[in-house]
Amino acid sequence: MKHAYIDEYSDIDSYIHRLDPRIKIISLFAFILFVIFTRPTSFIAFALYGVLIAVLFLLSKIPPGFILKRSLVIIPFVLMVAIFIPFFKKGEIAGGYSFGTLKLTVTYDGLMILWNILVKAYLCILSMILLITSTKLSNLLKALEKLKFPSVFVIILSFMYRYIFVVQDELMKMKQAKEARTTGGSRWFHVKVLANMIGVLFMRTYERGENVYFAMCSRGFNGKIKIITGFELKMKDFCFMLIIMSILTVIRIFGS
Amino acid sequence: MHIPDGFLAVNTWAPAWLISVGGIGYCLKKTSLVLKDRMVPLMGVMAAFIFAAQMLNFPVMGGTSGHLLGGVLAAVLLGPYAGAIVIAVVLTAQCLIFQDGGLTALGANIFNMSFLGAIGGYLIYNIIRKIIGDNKGIIIGTGISAWLSVVVASSAVAVELSISGTSPFRVALPAMAGVHALIGIGEAIITCLVIGFVLKVRPDLIYRKGE
Repeated sequence: MKHAYIDEYSDIDSYIHRLDPRIKIISLFAFILFVIFTRPTSFIAFALYGVLIAVLFLLSKIPPGFILKRSLVIIPFVLMVAIFIPFFKKGEIAGGYSFGTLKLTVTYDGLMILWNILVKAYLCILSMILLITSTKLSNLLKALEKLKFPSVFVIILSFMYRYIFVVQDELMKMKQAKEARTTGGSRWFHVKVLANMIGVLFMRTYERGENVYFAMCSRGFNGKIKIITGFELKMKDFCFMLIIMSILTVIRIFGS
Repeated sequence: MHIPDGFLAVNTWAPAWLISVGGIGYCLKKTSLVLKDRMVPLMGVMAAFIFAAQMLNFPVMGGTSGHLLGGVLAAVLLGPYAGAIVIAVVLTAQCLIFQDGGLTALGANIFNMSFLGAIGGYLIYNIIRKIIGDNKGIIIGTGISAWLSVVVASSAVAVELSISGTSPFRVALPAMAGVHALIGIGEAIITCLVIGFVLKVRPDLIYRKGE
């Protein structure tokens, strides 16, 4: 069955894709930190951050429509915060509206909070999208390990990544079988069948986990995971990091 | 609710990161004592299982649908420490792959859903299971703790947002808790059904401490 939704564009050949994953992780994490620690009133700085990430996206040749669609995950949370904005009572009133007897006012302070969150969250999400769409997940995990992330955690993550597709395939097949055999029926019946499916999936996955372990043992696994790494830092990687860091610093100093 | 980047102030996300890193380290140590070198493959496939289970949509009212969160499910099936690791791994993967939750906020997300949700949920489940006893205790304990874990985790989001000055505490807390009290009912029903099924077919797979 089809699941090409994880790291979908990671096999494009572009300048960004060819960079060392470690360099990308460090640079984009620096980008996130710079964005988060910028004052909400530095509008120029945010515009420049936006331009920077847009240029990086252009270099990476990832279709803009895809980026736009991906970045919409932020909407529910922004809506949730937006709902609470009228309840900030402090500051100058920017406008108001009323529902019957309930009167709500929006203050400039409240709007500032919303702007602050919106712009920062969006820029950070864009940088994360750039990281994941320009790097194969297996390489990203390897790079995390190289960067001294707790190795057990990273190895569990890479196991998970390997089996997501297998487990999901199993679930999709079960769902297809269920749909082929059930017509009508009450909602409660469907909920019960779906829950039973999760139960079956758990048992099969648990058994699969044990089988995987036995297979590993038969090949000489002794609790230690060895990873063959083929990363090589080149001059252009260092150049990229240096350029990104200096641009970020310049924006930070002159943008605010 | 996965908090994105930019929603939390540094006085919230930095301590949350520290707590999460320490907590996960402790859980890994505890789990590796029990599972030994089986831990890595088993936790990996179980994380894939929770990940897949979250993608299955359940019909709710009208045309809407909801999905399982799985914190208490993982804890009841695998025990509190292993359950917390599985949820933390799933959250990390969701942050990296789907940008579901931010990188700086990942610590807070792990704290809410993995520690409060899975471990906190397990503690409540265990108390209820011991009081009532038998399979009935397992089911009732699962239901109550699944509901509570959703409400508590969402309240924690409201608390964190108000510490960061992002939303006012007095409005955000009741709103978040209220909405999630409804979502929690769905979570409780699904978790109970799944646990009930496993209990009927393979009761040996349900985690029992020291047995």
